[in-house]
Amino acid sequence: MATQLQRPTDKRVLLMGTCLCDAFYDDTAKATVEVLEHLGVSVEFPDNQTCCGQPAFNSGDWVASRKVARHTASVFAGNLPVIVPSGSCAAMNFHGNLLQFEENPDKSIDSLANRTWEVMDFIYNGLGIKTWAGKFTKPTRIAFHRSCHSRGTGSGEATLKLLESIENVTVAPFGQDEQCCGFGGTFSVTFPHISGRMGSLKLDHILETNPDILVSGDMSCLMHLSGLARTQGRPVEHLHAIQILRNSLLS
Amino acid sequence: MSRAAIFAKIESATSSIKEKAAYPDYDLSIVHSLPKLKGEDLWDIFVHNFSYVNGKAMTSIEQLSAFLLETKQLHGYCDPALYDTIGSKLAAAGLTVETEYHRDRYDEYQFGVTRATGAIAESGSVIIDDDRTSHRLAALSPWVHVAVLERSEILRTIPDAIAVFGDSPNIIWCTGPSKTADVEGILIEGVHGPGEQIALLV
Amino acid sequence: MIGIQPIDQYARDISDEKQASVIDGSSKGTDKRYTVLHKDYPDPDKIRKLAASIKDHTLHHLEHYLEKAEKSLIARGVNVHFASTDEDARQTILSILRSHGVTQLTKSKSMAAEEIHLNPFLIENGVECLESDLGEFIIQLDGDEPSHIVKPIIHLNRRDIAKTFLREGITDTYNDDPETITRQARVYLREKYMQAQAGITGANFVCSDTGRLALITNEGNSRFGMAPVPVHIALVGIEKVIPQEKDLAVFLNLLGRSATGQQLTVYTEFINGPRSANQPDGPEHMHVVFMDNGRTDVLASNCKEILRCIRCGACQNVCPVYRQASGHAYRSTYGGPVGAVLSPILFGSRFPELADLPKASSLCGACNEVCPVDIPIPDLLLRLRDKAKRESVPSAGAIPMSPFAHLATTPSFWRTAITMSKAMNHLPIQVAPIKPLQDWLGQRTLPEWHGGDFRKWMKNREKAKS
Repeated sequence: MATQLQRPTDKRVLLMGTCLCDAFYDDTAKATVEVLEHLGVSVEFPDNQTCCGQPAFNSGDWVASRKVARHTASVFAGNLPVIVPSGSCAAMNFHGNLLQFEENPDKSIDSLANRTWEVMDFIYNGLGIKTWAGKFTKPTRIAFHRSCHSRGTGSGEATLKLLESIENVTVAPFGQDEQCCGFGGTFSVTFPHISGRMGSLKLDHILETNPDILVSGDMSCLMHLSGLARTQGRPVEHLHAIQILRNSLLS
Repeated sequence: MSRAAIFAKIESATSSIKEKAAYPDYDLSIVHSLPKLKGEDLWDIFVHNFSYVNGKAMTSIEQLSAFLLETKQLHGYCDPALYDTIGSKLAAAGLTVETEYHRDRYDEYQFGVTRATGAIAESGSVIIDDDRTSHRLAALSPWVHVAVLERSEILRTIPDAIAVFGDSPNIIWCTGPSKTADVEGILIEGVHGPGEQIALLV
Repeated sequence: MIGIQPIDQYARDISDEKQASVIDGSSKGTDKRYTVLHKDYPDPDKIRKLAASIKDHTLHHLEHYLEKAEKSLIARGVNVHFASTDEDARQTILSILRSHGVTQLTKSKSMAAEEIHLNPFLIENGVECLESDLGEFIIQLDGDEPSHIVKPIIHLNRRDIAKTFLREGITDTYNDDPETITRQARVYLREKYMQAQAGITGANFVCSDTGRLALITNEGNSRFGMAPVPVHIALVGIEKVIPQEKDLAVFLNLLGRSATGQQLTVYTEFINGPRSANQPDGPEHMHVVFMDNGRTDVLASNCKEILRCIRCGACQNVCPVYRQASGHAYRSTYGGPVGAVLSPILFGSRFPELADLPKASSLCGACNEVCPVDIPIPDLLLRLRDKAKRESVPSAGAIPMSPFAHLATTPSFWRTAITMSKAMNHLPIQVAPIKPLQDWLGQRTLPEWHGGDFRKWMKNREKAKS
């Protein structure tokens, strides 16, 4: 895997929109486009994209997930950076794919791995934008849940620093922040009880800090947490970090 | 039988490894804990770290005898080689001091005075080396263990202490009193061994 | 077949009290470890990676270092034995005990001995064998199994233990004060140490250059257990070998901090032979039994990194699934993330039965982040999921993935499906007869479907630009 500094940082990029944004969270994908364009980056959206393949990969069906990975690699072929508003889909491109192709390496898979950026990482480490010149009209308390797939990457630090630099934003710490929210894709389906308990514990810690908005770099974590919160009668406003960047420019 | 089978299986497993990892070239200073090594004087550094693990550092026999009298640890064992310098003074202070350790009376010794053969400043550990200690049990069965230490024997770091292992078949580092947190994570000292670990500098 | 995974079932059935003990014990361990490691070192990652590379080097050259360790030990008057299987190990130990006429012994905590169920075997064969680690002692009294590598009774509370002590006659009055419990065990066990004729231990590391075994405890039980007895037997997994004594500094500094947040465990003992001639206490005879028991199979697998493990338990402490389900849910000697990788391959014949273990993870990676030898546990879990699929091991609750792959490689179908998904907003999908879906939706409210909206927006935007 290429280190961050070796990855391309062109001002023309390909957007990998993720299946969750495709199906539910269109505004997150829109915010990604708007923020990148605001930074002078032109964004292309290859229409044949589908899913990164994680559901099959994480279930152990690597025959199926390799097929999806090859498809994705061909859709995003070329030399341009591939920007993803999701820590876990980005990690699938630059880590998971290498694992499932370790026996039979594939150049297109390697190329995709070496060009993929999680969006916040791209802005902070790729484009070198270390503070975000946006503001909120009212003081806003944000609970930032670091998505687990960004462990060991630059995304967590990048998101935290950018959020903290927004005028009127306070990032509120909460307990056991290293703990997973319990989504884990198909894990939440095959281990519903444990997944639900993990999510409820996470919510307990987050809500204790009375945030105005729960923020993460993965809509999957937010779908799981907000879905639990609503069913439990304690709904919480939730946004992707890129939406916070975009919204801070509007107000 | 087993030996040959195990080695054959290891060889077959390792022969398929494409890139065998080389032994890393490293400098042991990487494991020095600088916050724990603050200071110049090794005894001072030792005392700081030894106190952190609930050891008691003492610099005089009067201090020791006062502690033993106060905590009612009145009957103990002293290494015969330390009797003249320490044991006799404890006896003079009114404590009962034996210079022979009898296993059948293992529970009667309330304190044991034995030689430490070194100490590690960085970790606050007392070193006991089989070759130069009079009785392993005398450092273990009494509630109070007094490790008698000379200033020149204090080593700075853990790697330093490993480098002087020498030829002794048995070396132990004692870093504070015997302890457990098995019951609900609550720290209790004096599980099987001493509940008080004292380092006495002579 | 769509059913409930055994570990999820375990987490449903566990009592609130037991779960509270596990969650509390493991969370405390995580916090303490983090504080200590980061206070002492500016960059603990560097040390973790160094430790990993020393272990990898050793494992890749294991035949060399194991033979070297053997020679070093023999030169120091130690009897060295090899055991291929659990049965070999049990028989070897029994015959050593018989050759010395041992009928009573104490044993300090050893995962290797747990693995081969040594205790019940020796007791069946007429040797009184008592666990001396406080937690393991309580496990033995209860006929229970340890549920954590370094905190075997993490699943019990003081009331459970006080009841056991009363029931087993360790005391004649109920008292659940932890200090009192510890004192009762102290009195009981030291009498046993003095009566015993042998001590059995494991070993944390074996230095191949001098044969020195490093053995660590906080309680001092292994030191005490061996001081009055003439025979010491150490049961050691072959992967415990390290190249040289110098390397101990790396591992000892990591092990204590990762396991319990201590720089060093209280008693760190280094042994490479029978006691000195002028030392009245300690064994005159020392035996080391090097055990394979599946380790060479792990070495031959694509999960060999798990053999780096130094048994600190940090991955168990931090694992959210372990916290919910407890170590017992993993149904083998090793629970939690390390067990989810190790157990199915170490006990290879049980693979089909334990193939669900690697699936019980959200792949959150907290285990890798805290691992002192940087084992990429999530990657290994994924490789084992792939293995289970390739070997067609049936899995409860598994969702078939080939329809998904077909959809995700046929963009026109995909776009249509995504656009049509909006209809879901108007369908009562929560009543669909699919158990996992019902479970999932029972706990969560799905967001509103906006299928295809982004694609439309993007197209309009491009049109507007051109």
